[in-house]
Amino acid sequence: MAGIRLVARRELGAYFDSPIAYITAAVFLVLAGTSFMNSFFLQGVIDMTPFYETLPYLLIPFVPALTMRTWSEEHAQGTVELLLTLPLQPLQLVIGKYGAALLYFALILAGSLPIVVMLSWLGAPDLGLILSGYLGAFLLGALFLAFGQFLSSLTHNQIVAFALATLLACFLVFSGHPSVVEVIDGLAPTWQPGTVMADAISCLPHYEAFVGGLIGLDHLLYFLLLSAFFLWLTQVGLRRIQY
Amino acid sequence: MIHVQSVTRTYGATVAVDDISFHVGAGQIVGFVGPNGAGKSTMLKMLATFLRPTAGTVAVAGFDTVADALQVRQRIGYLPGDTPLYRDMVVEDLVRFVGAAHGLLGGALAAALARVIDMCGIGPVLALRVRECSTGFRQRVGLSCALIHDPPILLLDEPTHGFDPLQVMAFRDLLTRLKQDRAILFSTHIIADVEAVSDRVLIIHQGRLLGDGTLAELEQRTGTPGLENIFAQLVSVGVERRP
Repeated sequence: MAGIRLVARRELGAYFDSPIAYITAAVFLVLAGTSFMNSFFLQGVIDMTPFYETLPYLLIPFVPALTMRTWSEEHAQGTVELLLTLPLQPLQLVIGKYGAALLYFALILAGSLPIVVMLSWLGAPDLGLILSGYLGAFLLGALFLAFGQFLSSLTHNQIVAFALATLLACFLVFSGHPSVVEVIDGLAPTWQPGTVMADAISCLPHYEAFVGGLIGLDHLLYFLLLSAFFLWLTQVGLRRIQY
Repeated sequence: MIHVQSVTRTYGATVAVDDISFHVGAGQIVGFVGPNGAGKSTMLKMLATFLRPTAGTVAVAGFDTVADALQVRQRIGYLPGDTPLYRDMVVEDLVRFVGAAHGLLGGALAAALARVIDMCGIGPVLALRVRECSTGFRQRVGLSCALIHDPPILLLDEPTHGFDPLQVMAFRDLLTRLKQDRAILFSTHIIADVEAVSDRVLIIHQGRLLGDGTLAELEQRTGTPGLENIFAQLVSVGVERRP
């Protein structure tokens, strides 16, 4: 545990040391806030649905921008050799880096809390629904961070890591988007491959369940198991460096 | 303290280290000499557990580098080639990070930090970021990281790289002071470094160990005076023998 904390502390320091992290966070919050305000004034409803609806699409480029340097920079600068010859297990390194990214992401997500304060001031929003949505947003970010870290471990090039993670994020989100599902279903109406893919792979239906206030075990397990799978893959990849 | 038995390491079809055996005992400084690409760094990476041997066994401090990698890492101080360090970290934080990874905490870490500051002369750059340090100071920071936990075994890959003549002399003096009860293996292609401090010399070329002994033994065996001449002779014979 001490090793995980040590790595996480170093990673957090690296996040807060970089102006890029602050810029990314600011851009993310401005975009999320603006899109929420637009919908909020148009619909005039006291809830956070517009914020949650936009979030997956904002996370598609945002999280890969956070994770792209996680391992690719270690490879490029050779510091992976320093890390992997310290008396720490690869899994400790992976979880430490992941924990730091999760905390950083949670802090940025917390940057949207003024919206909740504003809604509470204007009316009586359903706080249970808001909390459930935040849980979904956190789990969605956690999944994106997990595969972002894994894809970053595959390459020395941060741009390649960013592109790969963005592509996978696009796939996981858009494969559950109703219009995409409809188009793919139209290609083979008997088998409905779009619906099958959305049910089996896409993160969107699971995320939308949380946004709708449904905290189901299947949705929880989808995010937790998939995130754990990518973390496990990352540490397997680190061990493979030795061969 | 270091036992290498019939070790081979390949990268695909390339044989980097070819059936090498040697040992290094406590209180010995052994110079690992060879031209660039001879296999020195690969051998050191295997000793430091960063790479696994393709064949053969490597034992450090009585522990197998594959089966007991963590035990080995606790007992070695490793300075990788090109000194990969976190360029954005403040020097003191970096050395503390490595010390903490080795389990040093609180007063013990502070005492260890004071010791390496004095030993390696990194006081003037302690508050600087690594990227702001000169090559020579970066090398000293790397050395501080290798020494922070006072390891019984030191593995140094091109430790005098980037040093000016005065720093080289100071480094040789440091190695001689560190020698007591420690096994020190350092690689270099600078013959003068080896002649100045080594108790024994390992000559490697194209992955094969061409010579192992004290300077006097090697002179007697080859009938050639001086390490430079011995090296040239062994390497030319090695090249002729190579199919």
